[in-house]
Amino acid sequence: MKKILVIEDNPMVIKSLEFKLTKDGHEVLIAKDGREAMKFLKEANFDLILTDLMLPFVTGIELISYIKKNSPNTPIIVLSTSTQENIIMDAFNMGVDDFITKPFSPNELSLRVKRFLNKA
Amino acid sequence: MKNPNASLKARPTILLVESSIIEQENFAHIAMQEGWQLVICNSGIDAVHWFIKNNKADVLVIEEDSAPLNAYQTADYIKTELGLMLPVLITVGNISNQQELRAIAYAKGFIKKPFVKTDTIHQINEIRERFPQKITIANHSYSLNYLRDIFDGHEESVFESLELFSTSVNTELDQLNMELQNRDYNRIREIAHSIKPSFEMLENETGRSICHLLNSEAEETEMPNLIRDLQLEFASITKQLTRDFPELKIGG
Repeated sequence: MKKILVIEDNPMVIKSLEFKLTKDGHEVLIAKDGREAMKFLKEANFDLILTDLMLPFVTGIELISYIKKNSPNTPIIVLSTSTQENIIMDAFNMGVDDFITKPFSPNELSLRVKRFLNKA
Repeated sequence: MKNPNASLKARPTILLVESSIIEQENFAHIAMQEGWQLVICNSGIDAVHWFIKNNKADVLVIEEDSAPLNAYQTADYIKTELGLMLPVLITVGNISNQQELRAIAYAKGFIKKPFVKTDTIHQINEIRERFPQKITIANHSYSLNYLRDIFDGHEESVFESLELFSTSVNTELDQLNMELQNRDYNRIREIAHSIKPSFEMLENETGRSICHLLNSEAEETEMPNLIRDLQLEFASITKQLTRDFPELKIGG
């Protein structure tokens, strides 16, 4: 079973991601803010990370920087909104692998997650 | 016997956004003589809300420099964000060529101020000939289509999400008001960003659009009105949800 860390602060998005990813057979851990995410990242390794960019306490960009430094082979998918083009570009320049626009299409999420987990 | 449809057709509903009391009276006088139903609104956003609430209108007449959204922004918002074909006439003092082109790009035409009876009647009648049907919108403040899709038809999860919508957005709206008092506009933008997907997941276009504005291009001076409008929209959704699903913990 692959282990996925979801870093997201909107409870409805969290619930939908948790439902879909668990149903697809993955182990899902949820961090509701950047601080909680840092704690998980220090305690465990993940096969994939899905992260929002605008997070309380520690920003998504800071998290990506930390992950790239400490776990450079872990793929990262950014959960974005349509108004974040500049921040998404910054994230890509830092080495994130993909992005999904919220609210996401269930099938698109499954396919993209599967693609990165198969590579791992 | 009077044909009720003919009567309806003879009484167009005009939404007017005009800050000058004198011009309001000028227009009202013309409207009364012509038998138009006139609704005077404080802003473009107010007009949009009246339109959504009452579900009918023939034309929006709005002054060029209205606030918080000017006439062009309001026309663009109605067309691109709400996807409505409500004809918009922009009222101006002096018209330059540049203004004329800009007005045509966003709206269906313009009316020169001070309002002159013949010109005003001509413009309104012309619009009515080009757009003879009263513009109405579907009266659904939310849809469960997306939630049913993402939860694969698992109704319990859909209902839990509706309760989450009610509690989490309510909390964030309280927070928005607090940050407005603190004048922490960056935090307001962050909160709007955070709750925007909640409105999107219920396929509520008004809430999504207001969050989008708050998160991106809204000026600080526009934020109080936008937050108030977002609260009204949230109240409208939760009211409808309570009616549709009385067994759920909505709006508690």
